[in-house]
Amino acid sequence: MASTTFFRRLPGISPGFLSWLSFIAVCLLIGLASAFEVFRNGLTITNMSDTIPWGLWITIDLSSIALGAGAFTLSAVVYLFGLKNFQPIVRLAVFVGFIGYTSALLTLVMDIGRPDRFWHPWVYWNVHSVLWEITWCITIYLTIMILEFFPVVVEAPFFDRWPWLRKVASTLHKVAPVLALGGVFVSLLHQSSLGATYGIVKSRPIWFKPSMPIMFILSAVAVGPALTMAMAYIIEWLTGKRHVPHDLLRTISRFSGYALLVYAYLKFWDLAAVTYYGRTPAVSKALSLLNQQTPYNFGFWVGEIIIGLVIPVMMFLLPRYNKKPLNLVIGALCAAIGIIFNRWNVTVTGLFVPLSYSPGTQYIVPAGTYTPNLIEFGIAIGIFGYAALMMTLGVKFLPLFSNHHE
Amino acid sequence: MAKKRKVKVNLTRRDFLTLAGTAAGSIIAAQALTVGPLSPFSRLKQAQLEGDEKTGHANGAHHWGMVIDLDKCIGCEYCLRACSAVNDVNTDKPWNIVVEEKTSAGHTFFFSRPCLHCQDAPCAEVCPVRATYVRDDGIVVMDYERCIGCRYCQVACPYDARKFNWEERTDVNPYIPTWGIAEVERRPRGVIEKCTFCQHRIDAGLLGGLVPGVDPEATPACVVACPVGARVFGDLKDPDSPVSKVIANNATLRLREELGTEPSVYYIPPKEGL
Repeated sequence: MASTTFFRRLPGISPGFLSWLSFIAVCLLIGLASAFEVFRNGLTITNMSDTIPWGLWITIDLSSIALGAGAFTLSAVVYLFGLKNFQPIVRLAVFVGFIGYTSALLTLVMDIGRPDRFWHPWVYWNVHSVLWEITWCITIYLTIMILEFFPVVVEAPFFDRWPWLRKVASTLHKVAPVLALGGVFVSLLHQSSLGATYGIVKSRPIWFKPSMPIMFILSAVAVGPALTMAMAYIIEWLTGKRHVPHDLLRTISRFSGYALLVYAYLKFWDLAAVTYYGRTPAVSKALSLLNQQTPYNFGFWVGEIIIGLVIPVMMFLLPRYNKKPLNLVIGALCAAIGIIFNRWNVTVTGLFVPLSYSPGTQYIVPAGTYTPNLIEFGIAIGIFGYAALMMTLGVKFLPLFSNHHE
Repeated sequence: MAKKRKVKVNLTRRDFLTLAGTAAGSIIAAQALTVGPLSPFSRLKQAQLEGDEKTGHANGAHHWGMVIDLDKCIGCEYCLRACSAVNDVNTDKPWNIVVEEKTSAGHTFFFSRPCLHCQDAPCAEVCPVRATYVRDDGIVVMDYERCIGCRYCQVACPYDARKFNWEERTDVNPYIPTWGIAEVERRPRGVIEKCTFCQHRIDAGLLGGLVPGVDPEATPACVVACPVGARVFGDLKDPDSPVSKVIANNATLRLREELGTEPSVYYIPPKEGL
């Protein structure tokens, strides 16, 4: 093929890399085609309905924001707690966070019925709404991440031709710790209020509990840094260059392991309080219905507990496993899958439970059914393609690990 | 191992002032551009508030409410049809549902439900853009021009009273003109819609000196259409209004009262009890 010969002449493009790029291109094409269909026909071509108005896409939003939490956690470690030896990974963490947040925003634009009005929360304020607060926090945090990352981008040799950019960058670099602290604050706020989005909804008994925001932020703090750690290892394997000291990465995995244990502990008491000691009729009814009609128990015990907690904790903390980088990466990926399971379980299964408001004994809103259809998965694939493309470009062209700071 | 070293922040006073100035400036700019007096958006809002003033619901002089007598209801669905015609509602997703219900003794009665117009409305609380809100006269309304279609209100409503426009509507409304003519526009694709207590009738009626709940032109279509008088509408703040009298003289209940949503719709249960 002519194109292959053309690419062979370019330095740094191996056949493996070329096939990776074409894989990304296919993902992006699928995503763009799906997006086009959604914009043309409206959300009616998804499997969401009035009974289950939120589905796969909200799960992607919540998961990718939670998985981007490494950015603010590691920034806090460096700038708030002053552990400067974590500095070599902060840039990567912020970059992963940036990809996570932009993926969430892209999905959100697909999900709202009027994408042309995406800017409304900035102009029309409802200060009582957690969703309004989340939109603002995410906007502010994304801005902070861009400002934090701007000096890194400008470091690329390409920008030699505009020296004034470097001046702006050095000013920004000076204020980086202040920016990072601001970022930590808004992150703590919105990572929790994403859980509050569900926790405050009193119409749905299995959501309505004060533990929701706490569970959301704890799981994000535990899994976000682990994902950054895994990315550092994977990048090292692919590029063959060791950028981040391995004992640092192992420290991060140990931190994630302990954070997951704290999360598991709270989860245990949450489960005990809600489904055992404090079970109200509405909650019992909802849970038994979920177990009859959906694989809720399977998703919870296998997805959230075994894959999401037991395996990562073993990989991160048991001396037998945590010596090998591969195990740490497997642990981090399992933890990420666990988060996705959790967000899906919270969102979609919560909506499966039909509302019951009639004063009589018979009528309840008919239970909905929901399995994401091809278009919805198409968008998901496109978002994955976007994330993979950004990561690839970042590794290829940005000084993600350069250590000459300050 | 983890050697602690302080991160140094090398900020000069000049840097600090620049930073503080930029931060303060952007907050002021954000205010001015969005909700401040110079903002074009705020002028829109002002116009809307003035409109509210004219129709007399900005001062909170009224609180519109409804009583539904479950004992009188015969399940004819006239209310559903009149509502669907007047508001041009998709008949697959009526705003006003009518279903057959059973008491605990097993006897059949009919249960119907418009939007309950909660005074502490979960939907209005969660809306990120204030596209839905409780008016001072108690009606929970939608601003279709502002709604972004996030569907959080639909998730939060305890009574399933909200419907989403998943697609551009092309359906022919079978209830027009038999049950009434469309008095409001169809809602565009991608926004939420709900029962409005026929706010257009109330607002226009008040301007024309009519009394909602008494004069049919100023009363919700479902109330006017009911052949057995199972629905009574009026001002809950006026002790002499028909609706206040019915509430005073009957035992009533409100749906899911334990949630504290304070609905404006009251139900008279069947005589034999629920």
